[in-house]
Amino acid sequence: MARITAGIGSSHVPALGVASDFNKSEEAYWKPVFAGYEWTKTWEREHVPDVVILVYNDHATAFDMKIIPTFAIGCAETFQPADEGWGPRQVPVVEGHPDLAWHIAQSCILDEFDMTIINEMDVDHGLTVPLSMMFGKPDAWPCKVIPLAVNVVTYPPPSGNRCWALGEAIARAVESYPEDLNVQIWGTGGMSHQLQGPRAGLINAEWDNAFLDGLVGESDRLRHIEHIEYLRETGSEGIEMVMWLIMRGALGQKTRLLHKHYHVPASNTAVGHIVLEKAGD
Amino acid sequence: MTVPAKRSIDIHSYLAEFDDIPGTRVFTAKRARQGYHLNQFAMSLMKAENRERWKADERAYLEDWTLTEEQKEAVLARDYNRLLDLGGNIYFLSKIFSTDGQSFLQAVSTMSGMSLDDYSAMMIAGGRSPAGQRSIKEKR
Repeated sequence: MARITAGIGSSHVPALGVASDFNKSEEAYWKPVFAGYEWTKTWEREHVPDVVILVYNDHATAFDMKIIPTFAIGCAETFQPADEGWGPRQVPVVEGHPDLAWHIAQSCILDEFDMTIINEMDVDHGLTVPLSMMFGKPDAWPCKVIPLAVNVVTYPPPSGNRCWALGEAIARAVESYPEDLNVQIWGTGGMSHQLQGPRAGLINAEWDNAFLDGLVGESDRLRHIEHIEYLRETGSEGIEMVMWLIMRGALGQKTRLLHKHYHVPASNTAVGHIVLEKAGD
Repeated sequence: MTVPAKRSIDIHSYLAEFDDIPGTRVFTAKRARQGYHLNQFAMSLMKAENRERWKADERAYLEDWTLTEEQKEAVLARDYNRLLDLGGNIYFLSKIFSTDGQSFLQAVSTMSGMSLDDYSAMMIAGGRSPAGQRSIKEKR
């Protein structure tokens, strides 16, 4: 049977992709950010998953204002890195896992999560930056990837509680897939940042670190944080952190911390990163 | 498996709270409707051929879109705070400043009322503190 073995939380700041693509990771500004991912790069080489379910948000790339799906699962064979206005990133094509993706879509819908199914889609920095941070710069990504896009742009986004419960439903779906697959789930976005208005540049390191700590162990208090708290405490784009709760929900009752990293800034944003494994139910 | 009891949220108070956050325009349905064509115009700049037409004559390019005159003027002036007030969303507006060759850091700094150097220095020093930035009413 397929099983979810580990979860990763990570920011997906576009500037990290630029720094990676143009070999800036050794520069003084970027070095401490990339250093925090070294442990994970090594760990991923030693624990290569078959599939990553990658939770992220599309930033007005594949989806414009015409159609706004709350939860969309990518069921295609491949996903091309998108042209976000300055040409596509020169990173490998993302290979999907249509069988598992469709299995998750069907299972979740029967489990009362009405997913949107996407059969053609380009993927933006929200998805490709985490791949670069976890896998570096290989000629091909080492595993298949199932994109799971969440609307966190047009209000209201899904509640944290709903995201957590979706993670639980995804875990049930994966566990009923007959093939023996090692599956990781990544929640991306955040941490605190605000990209708009006079309050731009807001960072709340204390709140971010409490959030990172809250992902570890048995507590489920994070699922009850309301949108207004993310907005007030972590800036308008800090709301992206609800996506980490899909990852956390999928890991079951208890998690164990493998690695944690926090750094300010990358461009306008606080970078947070955590690696968790399931610690039994 | 335990399923927490479902809480019902009052949509009116949910939305009203957003107006209490200093210096922030939350992208609500009201703004999404107001800014629909503005954001779709910005989205069109993801295509290289559209970027060329836009760069050749911005005003003429805008005439193809049903934007209000106010929205058009704010686009031409790159007044991003004004564009937020007129229904723009930052991820859509980013197509405009990307076409100008600006980074998020550069464009976002223009909304903060600070110079790029001062804004960058603030970020390197740990960013803008949330103290006093959480609530207008409660002054916290």
